[in-house]
Amino acid sequence: MSTREQKERIELLQGTLDLLILRTLVRGPVHGHDIVKAIQFDSDEVLTVEQGSLYPALHRLIKRGWISAEEGTSQNNRRAKFYKLTAKGRRQLTIETSKWDRLAGAIARILRPSEQESK
Amino acid sequence: MIRRRKRMLEDLDRDIREHIELEVQDNIDRGMSPEDARYAALRKFGNATRVKEETRAVWTFVWLEQLLQDFRLALRSLRRNPGFAFTAVLILALGIAANVIVFGVLDAVFRSLNLPHPEQVMTLQPKDGVPFLSHPQMRDVRDGNTVFSAVAAFRPIDFGMEAKGVTRSAWGTVVSGQYFEVVGIKPFLGRLLERADDDHPGASDAAVISWAEWKNNFGADPDVVGTTIRINKHPYTIVGVAPEGFDGTEKFGAASVFVPMANQASLEGLDWLESRSYHGTFSLVRIKDGISPTQAQAELNTIAARIAREHPKDEDGLALKLTRPGFLGDYFGSPVRGFLSGVMVLAGIVLLAACANLGGLFAARTADRTREIAIRMSIGSSRWRVVRQILVEAVVIALCGGAIACVLAWITLSGLATWHPPAQLPIRFPVTPEPSLIVIALAISLAAGFVFGVMPLRQIFKTDPNDAIKSGGIQFSAGRRWAFRDLLLAAQIALCCVTVTAAFVSLRGLQKSLTLDLGFNPQYSLRTEFNLSKAGYRNDAATDQLQRQLLENVSQIPGVEAAGYSHTTPLDLAGTTVSIFPPDSNDLRPSQKAFASYSYRVSPGYLAASETRLLAGRDVSFTDTKETQRVAIVNQEFARRLFHSEHVVGRYFKTGNGVPIEVVGVMADGKHDTLSEDPRPALLLPISQYASTQTVLIVRTYRDTAEMVAAIRGAIRDLDPAIPIDESGPWNSQLALTLFPSQVAAVALGLFGAFGLLLSIAGTFGLASYTVSKRQHELSIRLALGAQARGILSVALGRMMVLLGIGSLAGITLGVAASRLLSIIVYQASAQDPFVLAAVVLTTVLTGLISVAGPVRRVLHVDPAKLLREQ
Repeated sequence: MSTREQKERIELLQGTLDLLILRTLVRGPVHGHDIVKAIQFDSDEVLTVEQGSLYPALHRLIKRGWISAEEGTSQNNRRAKFYKLTAKGRRQLTIETSKWDRLAGAIARILRPSEQESK
Repeated sequence: MIRRRKRMLEDLDRDIREHIELEVQDNIDRGMSPEDARYAALRKFGNATRVKEETRAVWTFVWLEQLLQDFRLALRSLRRNPGFAFTAVLILALGIAANVIVFGVLDAVFRSLNLPHPEQVMTLQPKDGVPFLSHPQMRDVRDGNTVFSAVAAFRPIDFGMEAKGVTRSAWGTVVSGQYFEVVGIKPFLGRLLERADDDHPGASDAAVISWAEWKNNFGADPDVVGTTIRINKHPYTIVGVAPEGFDGTEKFGAASVFVPMANQASLEGLDWLESRSYHGTFSLVRIKDGISPTQAQAELNTIAARIAREHPKDEDGLALKLTRPGFLGDYFGSPVRGFLSGVMVLAGIVLLAACANLGGLFAARTADRTREIAIRMSIGSSRWRVVRQILVEAVVIALCGGAIACVLAWITLSGLATWHPPAQLPIRFPVTPEPSLIVIALAISLAAGFVFGVMPLRQIFKTDPNDAIKSGGIQFSAGRRWAFRDLLLAAQIALCCVTVTAAFVSLRGLQKSLTLDLGFNPQYSLRTEFNLSKAGYRNDAATDQLQRQLLENVSQIPGVEAAGYSHTTPLDLAGTTVSIFPPDSNDLRPSQKAFASYSYRVSPGYLAASETRLLAGRDVSFTDTKETQRVAIVNQEFARRLFHSEHVVGRYFKTGNGVPIEVVGVMADGKHDTLSEDPRPALLLPISQYASTQTVLIVRTYRDTAEMVAAIRGAIRDLDPAIPIDESGPWNSQLALTLFPSQVAAVALGLFGAFGLLLSIAGTFGLASYTVSKRQHELSIRLALGAQARGILSVALGRMMVLLGIGSLAGITLGVAASRLLSIIVYQASAQDPFVLAAVVLTTVLTGLISVAGPVRRVLHVDPAKLLREQ
């Protein structure tokens, strides 16, 4: 990984990892490695997920009952855990998304007041 | 939940491995070699162990688990260092025990009397300091107030009590009618004394005994009520037993029988019920519900003013103050509390010194473990985790120390509670340990653990893993700069010096008080005390007859050098005083007196028997009778105060009754009340002019004590077998009670001093050997390069010497300053005493030498070749 590449990438804000995981799981059960890949791919490689923080985050979500884990088989033909969204998690995703929208909008208004006015 | 957690965590390992495998596969797909692909994947994932830990943290009370681990690790590491653990626990145990014991005693002293609503129970203290009231004073307050629900007087008296055919000496209390209303307790058996019992002399022959008396001397007889006993030969009927735990309202005294005060004249041989000049009773009042102490005091002021107005001759200037009861009124209250608070401070200092000491040891140990700590941090342990480990270790040591301290304190306090001092007074120490002390000990040990546990913290936060690992844990820079632990050592030495100084000052005071000029000589003299009133005698011719006969008979016993008697002797705690007026004075109100003088009613021969020096004039004689001129022998201080001269034989003075008394002799000054008093006026009156049934026979002899005591007892028995002897034995040992407070003080302070010494030796030794072992490598190189032994020593231990010097100086200065306080309790405890100063300095120097001797030897025996090979 070159330095230039690193500069272009942005580390995740505190708390946003949970939201991104929930969003990724909407598509159906995925295992850990694919979650990381999906987030990077969907953000056009802008966002990186600290791999070490993924597993604590997953377990936190399980404990809250927003996602569940089930046994499955990976591409390598090995047993792995697949994570999937629960009904509670789906509701939470809606809440979190609207929260995020408001937050992002508010920050944008502060950072770019002139653009807001010109619209 | 718990099952789910278990399953989730079991699969975590496999998940992470799979995650990495997939990453490897991706990397290979991107064209990496399998080996590079694996390294890249591992690098990208990061510290797998830490991820696992953090994931576990989602599910478990990790801090609790880790705390448990820390405890196990702490126990292991202490077991690996038994010497360190033992020293630390021992030091702490002693330090905490000292605090818990002092606290226990303080608690017992400050605790209210064990009565219902104790906060309402107070005593009346005349403003001039002595806690005694006259019976009419008490009666005036009782009958003229609206703020007290009950007012009572009581007076402890030494009775001759005859029960089941045996006459014993027993401490009793004569109490006025409302005494048990003030006390507010319920009888265990029968009834307590009531107002009717105290209505008039002879109104009742009721007696109440204490629970302990009932248990010990009446065999816990359930039918004891109605039993007849004889008190000073007078028949009394036991009407009740007081409840368990009540033995009077004196904190350090125990009464075993209570009788109505109205009967006092028949019991004491002297009627003072109606006398306003005889101040001989303690008072006890209970404030009404809803009345504040301020209100009560305000009304008390009005009453006192009224009494003074109505009886100007006796009560002029009377003022009464409400104070806490329990210490002979409040007579001993403030000195006892003051001394104990002082000791508490000292105990705190000792504990602080112990903490500083352990803090130093811990800091040194942490420095030794720099490498270990660096490794732990570089493999991902947080600083907090390392800090917690150290703290847990400190707390484990502190708790062990605290537990041992509890046991020590328990044993000491229980021992103190059941111990009886060697004197005729019924002294007790109600300091039975309370379970609450365990909580105190726990709190103290936790606090102590934290105090010395946090001392190495700075070191840990400073630690840079890279440096520490590279330099192999030996930080040469640390040896150059003044480290925090150096300060600790200096502080600790200073604190220890304070306790050492205090100890020496008090020991010196004690030693001086033992060789003190008392004005009489208790060596080689036997003191026999009895009160003829207990055998039914009054202040009349029969008493005089018997006393003279006894003196004659005793003087005939072979081996008796001199003999005489007095109604009381100096330093007896039962001293009596009289008001002295100039010969030309006609205004004989108490407030107009020149001074109060100790007075002793003595027989001819008392001066010789007690070896009181007669400086001028003559001894009293049996030819001084009630019909002849009243005479007295006065001491030097008396002469100076009244006549401003020492040549006073033939001059006159008056006492409260206005009869002129002629001075016929002058005797030397001495001690009368306490050893620490300044010279006080005293006089001897012929007992043939001032009769007394209270008799103290002094016999000077060089014969065997036991034989002689038996002979004297025999002589008394021959005259009247009904006389109970209160006390007979060497005068010396009977004085023990007077010396008792300063002895206790000296022993307590001596122990603290010894402990302080121990601490400073341990601390200095520990740090000196630590310094030497840290720098052995450097020292070997110096030695190999040709450094001289002296140079090596100054490099290795020079700083230690500087610290020792500074610490000791500061400590001695502080100690000398603090010792002024000691002189209040310990007679002649002067910190300016060159002997004390020399002893303290010598001890400090010796301590320093002892504690660095070991390390010095090690420095001088460093073998460079061997050490350098080892490295």
